[in-house]
Amino acid sequence: MADDVQGTGSTGGPPTGGAWDLLPAYALDALDDLERRAVERLLETDPDARVALDEYRDVVAAFTVDAPAPAHLRSQTLAAVQDLAAAPTTPFSAPAGAPARRTSPQGAQRAPRRWGVALAAVAAVAAFAVPTTLAVQAVQEQRSLQEQADVVAQMLADPDARLVAAPVAGGGDASVLVSGDHALFTTAALPAAGPDEDYQLWVIDDGTISSAGVLTVRDGATTALVDASPGRVVAVTVEPAGGSEQPTTDPVVALET
Amino acid sequence: MPPVRTSEPDALDAALRACADGDPDAFAPVYDALSPAAYGTAVAVLRDPDHAAEVTQEVMIEVWQTAARFDPARGSARTWVVTLARRRAVDRVRAEQARRNRDQRDADRQAGERERDVVVEEVEQAFETAAVRNCLGSLTPTQRDAVLRAYYGGLTYREVAAELGAGLPTVKTRIRDGLIRLRDCLGVNRG
Repeated sequence: MADDVQGTGSTGGPPTGGAWDLLPAYALDALDDLERRAVERLLETDPDARVALDEYRDVVAAFTVDAPAPAHLRSQTLAAVQDLAAAPTTPFSAPAGAPARRTSPQGAQRAPRRWGVALAAVAAVAAFAVPTTLAVQAVQEQRSLQEQADVVAQMLADPDARLVAAPVAGGGDASVLVSGDHALFTTAALPAAGPDEDYQLWVIDDGTISSAGVLTVRDGATTALVDASPGRVVAVTVEPAGGSEQPTTDPVVALET
Repeated sequence: MPPVRTSEPDALDAALRACADGDPDAFAPVYDALSPAAYGTAVAVLRDPDHAAEVTQEVMIEVWQTAARFDPARGSARTWVVTLARRRAVDRVRAEQARRNRDQRDADRQAGERERDVVVEEVEQAFETAAVRNCLGSLTPTQRDAVLRAYYGGLTYREVAAELGAGLPTVKTRIRDGLIRLRDCLGVNRG
């Protein structure tokens, strides 16, 4: 396989085909979104293409002249990592053998305590978004996290809140806390997606599938607040990095709200 | 942990595994070994020390958060970090371009073009120490020009084509063949 790549390269003619021709520009980040998707589809299905890409990335890396970063950056970055390492990483433990549908009333009663920990995790993330350098984006993130925390606080106070939990195909657990028209989606021990993949959250309403965004997973844990009135399905798929317009793979987990 | 260097891949890979396991003490040697590659990459694209420092911090935090994704079978830790840093730096260039296009279309475009001409010259100097330097002679002048504009400008190949007044397929082919020649000259082979 690799011999093919090497052989064809040395004769000047790489494997042909639209997406193959775009691999070098992909390694240079010189593609627009549409073409990038095409290359990522090729990479998912063709191990030879991945090997070729890894080689082009080595070429691009050979352009870099290492240069020492400003000295003050070191202590800032190390401190940020210490904070991250100290933050809670497991918002809750899904009940063993939880069925993939609504839990019993007892489960619902236990939910607020468990999700209290999830709220603490949200708060910890908001408190972390400090690196002074992240400017505007961090401020926006912080504001929306604060809004989310407010909604979650209301959900926790709701005696009718329900918890739906299920294991995720491939590992980890997912669950959703439903209160009114809000659903708080959380995972624990979710394995990292592939290097060019992301987990994407979807809300399915009577056959209409809407993206609820790409999930930011930290140490297997992620929290996402979505609008999903009862009777909808919240599902997660693995998509090419950056997410897709519509799901391109089967869900790894689906929970009815 | 003792210091590790990109020239000691085993020690560096081990430190990255420890980061993936959540050991924050393993991060300092990883930072010391890899932040110069992140910063060097970001400076080349952004040409602004402050922006490059911000990208470097973002990338090194990403390294900590995603250390479990690093797969030594697919390449060196340095290449991994360069890939992460380049992607973030290029995203920043494009976001900045989009902002400029909205704000001050004409004035900034003229300034940008002057900047870019200067940069293409600066590029020659940066290469003095780049591993790729000795291989650039294996490219045709047009291949070299297209690759350097894409690399240093953070441009898409469509933008390179527009800058050069050349056709899309022509530029795509120049970039592809240019990188293939560099690959063969550098002896990169993951077989």
